[in-house]
Order: sequence, then structure tokens, then C-alpha cells
Amino acid sequence: MVEVPEYVKIVEEIFDRYKGKEFLYIGRHIQRWDAVEKIKGKALFTADFLKYYRNFVWVHSVRTRYAHARIKGIDYSEALKYPGVLRVITAKDIPGVNDVGYVIPDQPLLVESKARFIGDILALIVAEDPYVAREAEELIRVNYEKLPVITDPLQVIDLRTLEEKEHPLIHEERGSDIITHFKIRKGDVEKAVKDADVVVEGEYETPFQEHAYLEPEATIATPEPDGGVTLISSTQCPFDVRKIVAKVLGVTQNKVRVIVPAVGGGFGGKEDVADELGAKAALAAVLTGRPAVAIHTREESMIGHSKRHPMKAWYRHAATRDGKLLAVEANIVLDTGAYASLGPFVAWRATVHSTGPYRTESARVDTKAVYTNNVYAGAFRGFGGPQTAFAVERQMDLLAEELGMDPVDLRLKNILREGDRTVHGQLLTAEHGVGLEEALRKAVEAAKWYEKRKAYSSQTGVLRKGIGVALMYHGNSIGVEGADYSSATLIVNRDGSITFRTGLMDMGQGALWGLVLIAAEILGVPPQYFKVEYPDTASTPDAGPTVASRSTVMGGAATVNAAYKLRQRLNYVASKILGCPESEIEIKAPDVYCRSDPSKKTKWMEVVEQSFWLGIPLQEFGYFRAPPAEWNEETGQGAPYVTYTFGAIIAEVTVDTETGGVKVDRIITSYDIGKVINRVGAELHSEGGAIQGLGYALMEEIVHDSEGRVKNPNLSTYYVPTIYDAPDEIVSLWVEAGYRRGPFGAKGLGEPSINAIAPAIVNAVSHATGVRYNSIPLTPEKVFLGLKKAGKIRL
Amino acid sequence: MEIVPREEWDNYPDIEIKLNVNGKDYKVKVKPYERLLDVLRYKLGLTGPKEGCGRGECGACSVIMDGKVVPSCLVLAVRADGSKILTVEGLAPEGKIHAIQKALLDTFAVQCGYCFPGFEMAIKALLDRTLDPTDEEIKEALSGNICRCGSYKRFMKAVKLAAKYIKEGKVYFDEEEVRR
Repeated sequence: MVEVPEYVKIVEEIFDRYKGKEFLYIGRHIQRWDAVEKIKGKALFTADFLKYYRNFVWVHSVRTRYAHARIKGIDYSEALKYPGVLRVITAKDIPGVNDVGYVIPDQPLLVESKARFIGDILALIVAEDPYVAREAEELIRVNYEKLPVITDPLQVIDLRTLEEKEHPLIHEERGSDIITHFKIRKGDVEKAVKDADVVVEGEYETPFQEHAYLEPEATIATPEPDGGVTLISSTQCPFDVRKIVAKVLGVTQNKVRVIVPAVGGGFGGKEDVADELGAKAALAAVLTGRPAVAIHTREESMIGHSKRHPMKAWYRHAATRDGKLLAVEANIVLDTGAYASLGPFVAWRATVHSTGPYRTESARVDTKAVYTNNVYAGAFRGFGGPQTAFAVERQMDLLAEELGMDPVDLRLKNILREGDRTVHGQLLTAEHGVGLEEALRKAVEAAKWYEKRKAYSSQTGVLRKGIGVALMYHGNSIGVEGADYSSATLIVNRDGSITFRTGLMDMGQGALWGLVLIAAEILGVPPQYFKVEYPDTASTPDAGPTVASRSTVMGGAATVNAAYKLRQRLNYVASKILGCPESEIEIKAPDVYCRSDPSKKTKWMEVVEQSFWLGIPLQEFGYFRAPPAEWNEETGQGAPYVTYTFGAIIAEVTVDTETGGVKVDRIITSYDIGKVINRVGAELHSEGGAIQGLGYALMEEIVHDSEGRVKNPNLSTYYVPTIYDAPDEIVSLWVEAGYRRGPFGAKGLGEPSINAIAPAIVNAVSHATGVRYNSIPLTPEKVFLGLKKAGKIRL
Repeated sequence: MEIVPREEWDNYPDIEIKLNVNGKDYKVKVKPYERLLDVLRYKLGLTGPKEGCGRGECGACSVIMDGKVVPSCLVLAVRADGSKILTVEGLAPEGKIHAIQKALLDTFAVQCGYCFPGFEMAIKALLDRTLDPTDEEIKEALSGNICRCGSYKRFMKAVKLAAKYIKEGKVYFDEEEVRR
């Protein structure tokens, strides 16, 4: 048995101690620290800093004209002569390593010999202003040898056999365009299918989804005298930016400083592309000796950064007559586009969650991610979860239909409960917190599910209502993807104010505020005493990336550690002042008193001042590392994640059968997140995830033409939900089946908030229309053609 | 108007324009191709208005120009000569918070905040027209602004709350009190 580290014991102790207690700050509606600055328009996002800069240069990316082509030569001599152009940078000018690949080193920063998608960068023009740079681009002559373009992943791989097909290789250096193969093998699937009373199968398709964060990517780089750079960067992962920029420049990491100011949305998209921008700006800064600015236009952003992986999948479910799930089979193909980005990790997470939050006797799943000449796909809120949840939850509805069962009843029969084993053989115990059944029952009750399901089942007329359900579970943090650690620093200043620092960042949903509330609760100091510092690699140790819904769980656990130790020391000093035992000290800043005798009291300021004179340090660094995850590559058995967030979604829609238009009337979300820490943030995640999921279900899709060009690279052609599309009502319900190794029992919510939205909506549309839909986005055209094909409308 | 070939733009004299921004008069020298957004942000230092798309599709750069909401990324600075412009910075005097902003705080609408300066301008223009907007009018007024974090439901509530505050005569709130 492995010794449980102290930092885990502390988190467990805090969980046990506070169980069932009334909280001062945790779980309450408390305004985030920067709300006033943001509504006043004063918050500074990366590009805003330019108003303080002088003498800076612009970095413009020259991108390939063809999605798949050999680069025989680049002649930029004319461009260099254009007035205002300072420098043209190509691959050979890179002092360090020309690679920005995330998991696999397959992605050059600047293409040297071969372009693989329409966003590939051939050269950087460094100029006095962006107008000059764009004009000079027209003077660059590139000698291309065009290659056949592959935009359909099924040209690379066969969905039924999952064998690689004969095709012109995109990554010939790798010898294959299949990048990963993940498997689940459990029980005897063939026998289960043969013995089953009911078998349903289907093919499912999900699209490229664009993050469309409102702030396009931006970085400002300032050269430093030691050959390094300081960056202001719109990134989720300052330490990844530092690593890549150091590698590209060929300097040590301590010479690259990355500061992350206010960030205008991320959703997973500002992971690896920020490394690319950091490297571009850093190169220009170092090579010109002037501050350099790289800002993407919306079009560049849309063709130049990772997307959600499109999925094509074949699924087969087998069950007994009374609805017990016997087998799940799946072939899953993910299109990772031209580069792997986080594709291998996405494919793994998709595989882990590929059978949904259900018990099954047997399973066989194979997931492969393949290269194409499309825009590369990587991290996006949900990270493989929304794709497989769509397929699984549609399958569950088909199964219910075949069995003549209510979709909720079928799910209740099979969902994971405490004491069950997941498809990977992981035993779910009370310590994990398994609140799926409660979440589903709450949603069903709030929705008046049974009543409405019945009422909507016998409609005629043009407008038809439907109600649909979908469930999800989502492994917390990063599992076997890497070392899963986090950290946070608390500093009590001489005036009693507190500085909070972590290498995690806030991409808009207020994750860091949850960490402050945790510290405030443990220290007994109101959140208003805290200043949240912007992440800065020069002032905080690596806290891991801000991804995978890990800020509250992992960063929160690190914060628990820092606050716990600091509180012990404060108790010691207060006990010296007040003369009662340390365990009796109550801190409710600005007051500090003895619990048994409140007349013995002093002030927070006094405790801080005395600590200084007694030589008691009031800074503390908290570290946390998740217990290692287990995964058998051949069988998919083990314990892939430390715990899971569970959720149930019910969506109500109105379908116009004459136009195919779908209006989402109401979405009920019901999540078990262990413990609600930052209630405002949790509600905003529930609502924001629901609206982004609505977009995924009904309207969002990046479309490539046969030449690999993006046909809709801006916001007038790529549709994201507006206030007109938002549901009339979003209801957020919470279940708190505490996770003992999370801060106060908390689990993650960022990613889970989108996973089951699309299947709930599509299940509702299928309910309203009686047509089986298996592809998203479910556009009016698809709804209408489905109705027509099923003979449900006469024209 | 005289047509100037591009290669001569940089030799072409800057044009001096007059702007009244947030109640203050400015004289600014601009290039003929400069956008109002860039002039506000980088010449006047008003970085409230944000660039989200550069094509008038997202609303992040919205300002009120002579009483109308416009995407400042699509307005050439020279075309704004002589205009009266309101940006988020001018919504409330220093130390004060406007009813619209108070309502956005009260509904806990703030997420990344990038879209707010634009939304606030759209709401201001709406409430200047009517203090009893219907749901449909609110949606219409805010339909040109995108919030990717998804605070739409809160914006609906905030507009009505702001209208209520203004009707009650509470146009400005003390910032110090709000922060407490």
C-alpha cells in the first residue's frame, strides 16, 4: 500500500471537518474580484496593453495558398524592400527547434518543406504596421507543388474495419496517418450480442466546432537584455507557452517570462495556439530588438487554431427485454486535421467515456484519430466527451424505443451507482461521490418529464413539442495524460491584505474566484481582503495547465493546503495573544477571538503584526498532486480518472415541421459536482455550457471545401448562438455527493457543462418528430429532409 | 473626394478630425484608412471598445455615435469627424457606476467581460429609446452582440433591472458602495 501524502490527508481532513457545516463563503453568490473593472471597460486584455507601448513592430503570418503542397522555395526579396518591412522570418531563421507540436512533435512553427493545411505558416513578416505587412505579403513568391487534398477522414480509414486505406500520406515521415488507437475490451461481446433480446446500431456524425472566444489570440513580446523575452499572452497555459518559446528561441526556460492578463474566453482553444503566437512574437522581438505584437484577425483565428474533433462512429448496443445493457460496441474515428495537437489525449478521453455512465456486462471499443488536410483539431471544452455522449445517448433512446420503454426508465435501470464498476473495472465508492441517480431524478421532477413525454407523444399540427434526456459522466482533471499537479500561494501582507497567486488562469468563468473562496473559508477572512494576481511565470511555480476542469479540483486542493498551513500559524500567534488554546481560535476578520470566551478578542491586523514581530512567516505555498491513474493499453481496464462529475440534461424543444427550424424552449441541467464552491461560476458554467452546446447541436460547423479551404471563417458565416437562440429558460440544479479528495468535496464542471446538451436536444427533436436523427449540427435542412424522407410531411 | 493611390498614403498628410468622446473634445490626426476603433483605442487610450471580428459581426467594438449604436471597426475615423461619441468609459463619471452596470453586477452576468463594453452600449441605446422594453425589443437591441460565455439570460434580466433603476431616478451608484 502506498503511503498517502500529507497534501492528500489535509484535503481529506478539511472535507471531513466541514461536512454538513454552514459555510461563510463557499457555495454562496459572491461577486467575482474583477467584476467592476470589467463592467467599467477597464480590465486589460492583451491587445489593450498596446496603448502603453511605443516603438513596437507587428508580426504578420504568411500562410500557405494550398492546403497540401510541397514548398519548393520562398522568395521574399521583394517583400523585404517594401517600405516599412523590417524583416522576413522563415524556418531557417529559427535559432532553436522549429516545432510547436503539443503531444507529438509533428507541427513546425514555420513550414519548411510541406504545407498540410490552409493555416500553415510559411513566413513571418515583421513590419512597422499591420497594413504594410499585409501589402508586403503580396510580394512574396512561393513555389508550390500541389498535392492531393484529403478532407474526409474516411478516405484515410475504413469505419467498419478501422484499417488504413491506400491514400497519399499527409505525414509520410510517420509512415501512417493514423495517430492513435485506444481500446476497451471487457467480457464476451459476441456472445452478449447473440444472446440479447434487442440490438440497436447506428452511425453518428459530429462536426468541427469552433471556440469563437470573443477575444482573438494575441501576444506582445518584449526582448530582454539576456536574450530572453517577456510575453503578455492570451493563453490558458503560461507554462506551456514558456516551454515552447524557450525551445524555439533555444534559451533556457528561466529566460522566458509569460504574464497572462484578462483573457476573453478560451474554452480549450487557447492552449497550443498561444504557444504558436508566443513563439512568433518572441522571434520577432529577439530578431529586431523591439517589442513585437502578434494579433490574429478573426479569420486567422478561425483557420489557424485547433477545433473540436469531428467524429464518425459506428455503435451497437445489446440489451435484454427488460432493458438491462449487455454489450456496447463502437468504432470511433476522430479527424485531428493536419496536426495531432491534443488529439491523442482527446481520443483517449473519448474512449474512456465511450460507453456513457452505464453498467455494461461487455464492451468492445476501438478509437482511432487520423490526419487529414483539415484545420487541426485539439482541445475544446468536453475534450472528446460531447462526441461520444452524442452517439451513446442517441443509442440509448433508440434502445428505449425498440424496447417500448421510457428513456428515463431505461437509463435508471443501467446508470452507475455507488458500488458499481465502470466499464474500465473501476469501483465507484462513497469517496468518489456518485450522484448520478439523484441528478437524474431531480431533473425529471423539475421537468415534469413523464407528464410532458406523454403529452408530446400524440401531437399533430405544424409546431410540435418534444422533450429529451441525456446523461453524462466526465473524468476529473487529466488522468493518465500526464503528471497531474497544481499549486497556489497565499501571502498575508503587513496591512492584513492578502495576495493570491497561482499559475492557473481565469479564461472568463471565474475559476480563480473559487480558489479565493476556499482560502477565505479556511482562513476566516472575507474574499474582499484578497487580490488575485494575474498568472506570471516569474512569480509563481508551475501549477499545470488551465484545462480539463481542473482549476477548482486541483488548484482548489492546493489552495486548501496553503490555507490550512497558514491558518495553523495564525492560530498559534492568536493563541499567544489571547491565551486560549490554538484549537479555540476563531478568525472572523477583522475580529479574532476565543471560541469558548468571545470576550477574549483581538483584531486580524494585530495577529498579522504580531506574526511579523514573532518571526512567523505569513506566506504559504500549497501543492497538490492527484493519485496516479491506471490504464491498460490493451484492455482499457484500470482507474482512468480519480473521480467523475455526473450530469443529467433535459431539453424541451418546439419543431416547426414546415421549415425544420428548432427552437429550444428550456434546458434543465442537473450536475453532481461534489460540492458547489463558487456558486456564481457554477451557474454561469451551466448556462454557458448549455448555450454553447445548443450551438453544437443545431448550428455550428466549420466547413472545408474540397481544396481544404475553410468556407466559413468568420462570425457571419459560422453561426454561434445569439440572444435570439438562447433558450427561454435554463434551470441549474445541483447535487453534492462530495468527493473526499476534492476541496470541500468539489469536482470539476467546466467541461462537463457541454457534454450532454446536444444529445438531449436531438433526442427532444426526435421525440417531437418521430424521426431518428444521427448527425449534428441538426440544421433546419437536416430536420426537414428527415421529415420528408420519413414521409412525415407532404409536399 | 480626391482618390489617393495606396503607395502614396504614407506621404499623404494626416487628416485632422474633431471628435467629442465621452463629453471631451479632441483633435486627432488620422490616416485616411484608420478605423474609428483604432483611434479610440490607441490614440485616445480608450481600450473599452474591443476588436472581436473587425467586420461588424460581434458587437464587441460598439460605441454610440450621434445617438446610434455603430460597430467602430467599420467606421473610418474620417467619417466620424465632428461626431459625438460615447464609449463604455463615458457611461458613468469617475467613481460612479451606471444603472446598466449596476444591473449587470446584480444579475452576476460578468464572465470574461470582453463583450461587455459593446453590450452596455447596445443596452444604453435601447434604454434611451424606452424604459419599458419588451422581451422582443431587448432581443432585437442585443442581437448584434455576441457573448460566447453565454450570459444572455442574465442580460435579459439586467436590462429590465436597469430600466427599473433609471425609472426610480437611480442612474448612478457610488462605486465604493457597490464594491463593498
